[in-house]
Amino acid sequence: MSVYVRLRVGSEAYAMPVEHVREVVGLGEVAVVPGSRPEMLGVRNLRGQILPVVDLALLLGIDVTAPPTRLLVAEAGGRAAGFAIDAVSEVGELQDPTEEAESDLLIGATLAGGDLIGLIDVPRVFDSLEGRGSERSGR
Amino acid sequence: MSDLDAELTDIFRDEAAERLDQMERALLAVESGDAAAESVDSLFRNAHTIKGAAGMLGLDDIRALAHAVEDVLAGVRDTGAFPPGLAAPLLRATTVLRAQVAGAQEPIDDLLRDLAASTAMLSPGEAGPPGARGAGAADTRLPDRDVREADPEADRPKAERRPLRVPAEKIDRLLDVVGEVMQYRGQLAHSLGGQVQLSPDVADVLTSGERMLDELKDTAIGMRTLPLAVITRRLPLAVRDLSVAAGKDIEFAVTGADTELDRVILESLYDQLAHLLRNAVIHGIESPAERSRAGKPARGRLEVRAVPRGSLVEIVVADDGRGVSAEVAEEASRDGSLADVLARPGYSTAAEVTDLAGRGVGLDAVKGYVQSMRGTFEVRSEPGRGMEVVLQLPLALALLDVLLFERGETVYGVPLTVAEQVVMVTRTLVLEGRPVLEVRGRLLPVADVADLVGARAPLLDDRPPALVIAAGGRRAVAMCDAVLGAEELVIKPLSPLFGGLDGYFGTAILGDGRIALLADPAMLTRRHRPATPMTATAEGRPAAPKVLVVEDSFTVRELQRSILEAAGYAVVTARHGRDALAALDRDTGIALVLTDLEMPELDGLELTRAIRAAGTRSSLPVVIVTSRGSEDDMRKGVEAGADAYMTKEGFDQQALLATVERLVGR
Repeated sequence: MSVYVRLRVGSEAYAMPVEHVREVVGLGEVAVVPGSRPEMLGVRNLRGQILPVVDLALLLGIDVTAPPTRLLVAEAGGRAAGFAIDAVSEVGELQDPTEEAESDLLIGATLAGGDLIGLIDVPRVFDSLEGRGSERSGR
Repeated sequence: MSDLDAELTDIFRDEAAERLDQMERALLAVESGDAAAESVDSLFRNAHTIKGAAGMLGLDDIRALAHAVEDVLAGVRDTGAFPPGLAAPLLRATTVLRAQVAGAQEPIDDLLRDLAASTAMLSPGEAGPPGARGAGAADTRLPDRDVREADPEADRPKAERRPLRVPAEKIDRLLDVVGEVMQYRGQLAHSLGGQVQLSPDVADVLTSGERMLDELKDTAIGMRTLPLAVITRRLPLAVRDLSVAAGKDIEFAVTGADTELDRVILESLYDQLAHLLRNAVIHGIESPAERSRAGKPARGRLEVRAVPRGSLVEIVVADDGRGVSAEVAEEASRDGSLADVLARPGYSTAAEVTDLAGRGVGLDAVKGYVQSMRGTFEVRSEPGRGMEVVLQLPLALALLDVLLFERGETVYGVPLTVAEQVVMVTRTLVLEGRPVLEVRGRLLPVADVADLVGARAPLLDDRPPALVIAAGGRRAVAMCDAVLGAEELVIKPLSPLFGGLDGYFGTAILGDGRIALLADPAMLTRRHRPATPMTATAEGRPAAPKVLVVEDSFTVRELQRSILEAAGYAVVTARHGRDALAALDRDTGIALVLTDLEMPELDGLELTRAIRAAGTRSSLPVVIVTSRGSEDDMRKGVEAGADAYMTKEGFDQQALLATVERLVGR
């Protein structure tokens, strides 16, 4: 058992290990960074820190109907980013992953109250974003 | 090695390096014959101190070498004469000592022998045969106490100035925090801006807070900076060695060595300065004989000059040598600046092969360095009169003067140094299928910032403001919605999560809390290709028919030239009718004449009549392109014998090309 922050993106449930979650705030004003990949929504000024904002739905390939409203600020290995999400549902203990995940951005998946919850691997998400390059350099 | 020993060795290195600097300066003075009387004393004292400290730390080679130097100097003291020829072996010794102090292991036996032998230059009666003096002889002759008594102030300033060792990260963190406080100040000023009048008390408090914050900022920046002297101390010796090797006679000077610069900038500046000085000594300054022939003083002048200019430092390397060749000067006046021409990658090789004096050797590297430090680079030179390379570098890397502008919803910034001017774009022309704008007589590519960075944005105004940006050897005009003004900003790098996105060198938070994206100037000046390419190209065409363009406006002339050349025609130009007739006499290969109507000397109608009247070329096709579009004008043109008549208003280059093509029968 470990403590996770559970969140909703579209109709799907995900969770992030609590040690990687710094805070959850409103989405705020996000400045677009032209030339970056589509999952990078831009940058946001969070109390003097310039935070990259990642579209979690797009990153995980989830269909959404409404734009995200909240920002989950995550940290790992000296890197930080805000993940745009719909809502945080609760913070609590979850079983360690029992199911293997298809995505390499997940630690795995676990069952809770009948929902299958994907457990997000924050350091790997960061590594993946760093390694993707940009639209401009990738062309 | 114990921690204490390591620390002592560090201190010894600093001290020995400083003493070696002093010794080299004194020896260079001796060599050029203008040594002060007390220089022997100070030389001796410095050698002696290095010897003593090296002995304590068990650095035997340094001790032995310093001892040998001391011996030679003792001989000088005794005889009271310092032959300038002695300076060379002593300078070799200080060079090796410096290397040894820095940790190099070089054999010193030969050098020790040379030093001993050099004493023969002193009068034989006084100095004695080489090697006659045993170890410690100098000590007996001149005990420490005597040395100190000779100059009681010798060591005191050193002790007072001993620096405190602070890890660089701590200073960087301090500067970060200062930057954040400045951001808050900006936000505070912004929030208060909209409020009603502040009470005088509150205003006072805010003003003094502001003043102290400025002072704190300057102090914090000051901790990251070091005087230029840190790297220029070694230059006189390097220039001397080079001059000797190249057979040049050069007077070298450094001014403004106390100017402070960010240590990161300084670290890599030495190589660039050394490079520029090497160029000047080897390629720029002529041999004494050549200089005399040219009516210049036999001794060349070479100077490094540093001048602080606000948040920038200007560093100039100037020589009075032969300067750039006339061809290079002409090339520069034709397409851009001297800096552009000389820093063109690959330029150096060509210059070296064809003309050693061509200069520009490796200036692309210097330029790259300056750009990476977000500075600017300029070259001034007159053939035969010398050359000045000017580097403008920011005083501190974390803070930068930025020109801010807006496009779409986004705020962008560029270093103020690359923004040459702000213009209003009223009318653009099309050149080689790309929009251009005439700025001060030059045609510069013009593009929407949104297209350059790849952003989506609503259409621009009819007369949008634009920045003229010079970077990477190119100038370009970037159009935006509004220019917001200049501001000193704290630069933060773009997050690595953007995957090394190029085009931005950082981000910054503005007073109103918005984020500015700091655009790499090269992204704004790179060639932007519009979506619709030219239909006519030069490819696949046989011989190029020659068109004579007759037009008194430089802009229109060059525009027509570019359109025709891009379509594969050869183009010759003339400024008016008389000029055109002369060109036709000279060049019988001209296949078509494209002429304006209103021109000085001989206008377009007269020119057309003159062509029709001449037997040999009476059938030469003539196209009139004019701003006079009335039916009456057109009739006059046709009556004069023109084959086609086109107006500049609503000028259509495809129609022009189609007409030309039809008339030359391709």
